[in-house]
Amino acid sequence: MNSSRRVYLDHSASTPVDSRVLAAMLPYLTSSFGNPSSVHLFGQEVRAAVDRARREVASLIGAHANEIIFVSGGTEANNLAIRGLCETHTSGKGHIITSTIEHPSVRGCCDNLEKQGWEVTRLPVNEAGILSVDDVRAALQPNTVLISVMLANNEIGTIQPVAEIGELVRTVRADNAQLRFHTDAVQAAGRLSLDVAGLGCDLLSLSAHKLYAPQGAGAVYVRRGVKLAPQNIGGHQERERRAGTESVPSIVAFGAAAKLAREELDQRAKHTRLLRDRFESGVSERIPDIVFNGDRERGLDHISNISFRFIEGEGLLISLDLQGVAVSTGSACSSGTLEPSPVILALGRNEELARGSIRFSFGKDNTEADVDYVLDVLPRVVETLRAMSPLNKSVSSSGFQVSS
Amino acid sequence: MYSEQFKRHLTNPRNVGKLTDANAVGEETNPVCGDRLVLYLRITNETIEAAQFLAYGCPPTLVCGSALTEMLIGRSVDAAHNISRKDLLDAVNGLPGRKQHAAGLAIEALKTALNNRSKM
Repeated sequence: MNSSRRVYLDHSASTPVDSRVLAAMLPYLTSSFGNPSSVHLFGQEVRAAVDRARREVASLIGAHANEIIFVSGGTEANNLAIRGLCETHTSGKGHIITSTIEHPSVRGCCDNLEKQGWEVTRLPVNEAGILSVDDVRAALQPNTVLISVMLANNEIGTIQPVAEIGELVRTVRADNAQLRFHTDAVQAAGRLSLDVAGLGCDLLSLSAHKLYAPQGAGAVYVRRGVKLAPQNIGGHQERERRAGTESVPSIVAFGAAAKLAREELDQRAKHTRLLRDRFESGVSERIPDIVFNGDRERGLDHISNISFRFIEGEGLLISLDLQGVAVSTGSACSSGTLEPSPVILALGRNEELARGSIRFSFGKDNTEADVDYVLDVLPRVVETLRAMSPLNKSVSSSGFQVSS
Repeated sequence: MYSEQFKRHLTNPRNVGKLTDANAVGEETNPVCGDRLVLYLRITNETIEAAQFLAYGCPPTLVCGSALTEMLIGRSVDAAHNISRKDLLDAVNGLPGRKQHAAGLAIEALKTALNNRSKM
């Protein structure tokens, strides 16, 4: 019953390491092992490699190399950007504007600052998962210090009007010079062509392992002139913004991956769009009672998020895993508590749909045969789970009502 | 991470559906996570002749429903009363600690079914 075939459709969680990226980083795991802060040749060789990587990462988003701070990943990037910025605000507790569908690391930072006395406005999104710029404008206060809105959502892939918010920030700054704009671009980088000037952001977060590099590196873009309080202290690394010896192999890999992502962006997007469309039309033909979450016109090309009525996401996830297919769900069940996906709930979906949502995220190395395999397996798995469901009226008359 | 028994029950669940001529039904919902399990039994001469189930929730809940029906069919009512949460966990070769509440839900549904029997 267990399949020998394995299909990875969880590229929004992590991507496989590209062989060219691995080749680029390998010397820094073997012969080039120095500390980039060392003044001898061993150190200077790796310092040069870190600087090259910094230039490549900067190029991916149209930034200057000295505006890139390397960190350990997306979560640290969001922590440094948000907490680091707010800690520089000396004139009392300020106000933050964010959305209800941010990554847990952004939500966590804002929750934490709120506990410390900051005011946080969490703006809702529409049914497609998109924030309104008018809502951002209306939420602005004289003491607003930070707007943090993600570029593209990690669960449903919707692209937020970040450039429009950036434009708004530029106009508001005439009256409120302290206002800064952060965007979490972890999911968008390598999927969309990014230019920090066009986006109008002051801070931007990136993660290497969404770009076919290994886990362990990320970056914060910090626009020149923007002050940030370090969250790691005790060293001069990263222009005093992030103390600690750099993870050189991870950073070199990040640089190599960023270069490839820039060069192959259109080709990868075209490929994943083709696979996503093939998948979604196949699912629509084969499986009734589904709801697509997100916005096809304003969404990342590689993500398909679907709520399957009558069944719970984790059951579907594990059942697919037993057939060799790796996907993810935004709902989490443990110790008898269940948190339905906050992102799907934020779209106005009911709890059943939020519990039954699954994210399929495609990658550059997936094939049409992968999609066809999943289209063969998925309907059978859904049918098996639905046959068991007391929510499914076609198998049960036991009095349960499916809420709408 | 999950046992072969677990995988077998999830991939090919036993005794799925609503037993139309059931004379004992137990339905339980976990108030915290919302998992639901409905157990249908047909009892004749103090023996469970047939058992079926419906379940909504995380995989351990579905698996415990399937495994419990397998344990019940052919058992006396007295023996069914004695099935414990641990017996059910053993039947699926254990569950991770944070998922063991699923077995508790199934045993509650069994107790409810056996207790409700006289009212039917």
